[in-house]
Amino acid sequence: MKLLRVDMNQLQAHWEPVPATYERLGGRALIAKILLEEVPPACDALGPHNKLIFAPGLLGGVNVTTAGRLSAGGKSPLTRGVKEANAGGTAGDALGKLDIKAVVVEGQASSDNWHILHILGDSVELVPTGDVRGLGTYATSDRLQERFGTGSTVISIGQAGECCMGGAGICVTGEGGQRSNYAARGGLGAVMGSKGLKAVVIDKPVGRTATLADADLLRTAARTFAQKLINDPKLGTKGSQHLYGTASIVAAVNEMGSFPTRNFSDGNFEGMEKLRGEYLREVTLARGGEMGTRCMPGCVIACRNVYVDESKKPIVGTLQYETIALLGSNLGLDSLDEIALLNRMCNDFGLDTIETGAALGVAIEAGLAKFGDYESIRSMLAQVGEGTVLGRLIGNGAVATGRVLGIRRVPAAVGQGMPGYDPRSLKGNGVTYATSPQGADHTAGNAFGARKEVNPLGVQGQKELSLKLQIIGAMLDSTGLCLFARPPIIADPQLMVDMVNGRYGWGWTVEDYNRFNRNVLRNELEFNRRAGLTAADYRIPEFMCEEPLPPHNATFDVPDSDLDTVFETL
Amino acid sequence: MIISIELFGQLSPQSPRRQTLELASPARVQEAVGLLGLNPDEIGLITINGVQSEMQDSLPPDCRLCFFPYVTGG
Repeated sequence: MKLLRVDMNQLQAHWEPVPATYERLGGRALIAKILLEEVPPACDALGPHNKLIFAPGLLGGVNVTTAGRLSAGGKSPLTRGVKEANAGGTAGDALGKLDIKAVVVEGQASSDNWHILHILGDSVELVPTGDVRGLGTYATSDRLQERFGTGSTVISIGQAGECCMGGAGICVTGEGGQRSNYAARGGLGAVMGSKGLKAVVIDKPVGRTATLADADLLRTAARTFAQKLINDPKLGTKGSQHLYGTASIVAAVNEMGSFPTRNFSDGNFEGMEKLRGEYLREVTLARGGEMGTRCMPGCVIACRNVYVDESKKPIVGTLQYETIALLGSNLGLDSLDEIALLNRMCNDFGLDTIETGAALGVAIEAGLAKFGDYESIRSMLAQVGEGTVLGRLIGNGAVATGRVLGIRRVPAAVGQGMPGYDPRSLKGNGVTYATSPQGADHTAGNAFGARKEVNPLGVQGQKELSLKLQIIGAMLDSTGLCLFARPPIIADPQLMVDMVNGRYGWGWTVEDYNRFNRNVLRNELEFNRRAGLTAADYRIPEFMCEEPLPPHNATFDVPDSDLDTVFETL
Repeated sequence: MIISIELFGQLSPQSPRRQTLELASPARVQEAVGLLGLNPDEIGLITINGVQSEMQDSLPPDCRLCFFPYVTGG
């Protein structure tokens, strides 16, 4: 495999052999290691010393179902620490097939000198941005695919990334003209913008396949893995995830009193009925939209949808749980149409819907709009694309918005807006939000559904549960697997070991693999320590520790001593 | 005692989505499951008054009992 270095100072790119220390790493694990080895931890996240890394997981490009996610990473302008966010689409698969371990973007182009990185198999070029500068991600993707081929993959930023807004994500195209797969979290779109890189285009890797050490071993394990996913009651063709998408959990999270409502002031939303997955399915199919589509080639879960308006015109593909929670109930909106329209605006500007929804909730609390008033909310969000002062404020996320507007009730941890589970009534997620080196990120260790292990409203066992889930999350993000694909691997880790050994021939054991997963977190925590994060940063906001959340009137009461010792057995 | 029931997702076609059920007190969740004709293997999540519960848990009078299929967060 090889590594692509892109020097934005000199506007040059070159291939190099993968250093031995990076050889057995992929995705999030590789990002953590590169940051630790190559990036000054205290550097300005939007300055020339930070690096933007794109890396497929260890199983990218070898036709393992759900394993084609692309990890993007760097030092986060929001958390000030390590950040990895991953997206579906075709980029992870394409880089894997091209035997590219990672693309490392370094330095910073001179002011207003924007470029596109074009990867053509074994060659590479940096070309001027041309007419896509200043465009949203839809138009950028359209124009670049017209220019470089409809089968190419486009990784791009919108206006938010170009303006280095902390809420900016990175957009990845998928199969068949699919748009808006997002590596959304942590402001990595701003890091990309800070480099002067508008987009990366990867030509379709026609006829390219990754080299396999033991094809039979890989294929046998991959088939078993896929079959177990298909048989899983949550994930298969009769499962909730496939039938209703990620919105399948709206009603359950609401019932448990953890559904973010009006800037995290309630755990139940009275308008939930029109936001739940069953209703989403009914409306989508009645209008001629699609349910059960996939975000990656060969995915057997297929939890995406194409949400359309009444004239069957697609608004977004896909409308997801986190977006419904943060741009919906969190803003007092009970209309999927309105949420989808806000979602489309975020996608186009290149914004993380979680961070932006959290920021909008804070702005509403400050009196800049009204909960439930779509027009006033849409007007605020539109200003992000216009680049007004208010737009830049919203685009910089929940913490910046709260600080400027003087709002204390900011749902964020380690600088990052909270996802769609209020930590007061799902305390395992609170522990993850507070302690993960990734900041408030549910994908780092989501405790929803772990009911048989720990009472979500209780304190007992939460730190142990969070650690276990964070280790699993590190594994998923490093192999390129979708986080929904975890059940077969948790039940049988040998399955993953076989797939990795089939791909690389490393002769790993389950113990080696467990060590690998734990080392991801160790490296990330060490980077954050060197970056200056202390125990005081790894906390849930004070208001959530004091203000009871209806309907259970729960506060976040996991003691600091538990938060400080989550990783003591790592 | 009378309890209110709500079924979600794939469970709702098996029985009316919202209904009330009269049970002799004391009663457990599993008795309600039997009366509703639900397949226990298809129930992934149970809540009593919004609190995650199990088949063996007792039902308080006038409670709200919800059944969900297997779901996963992400």
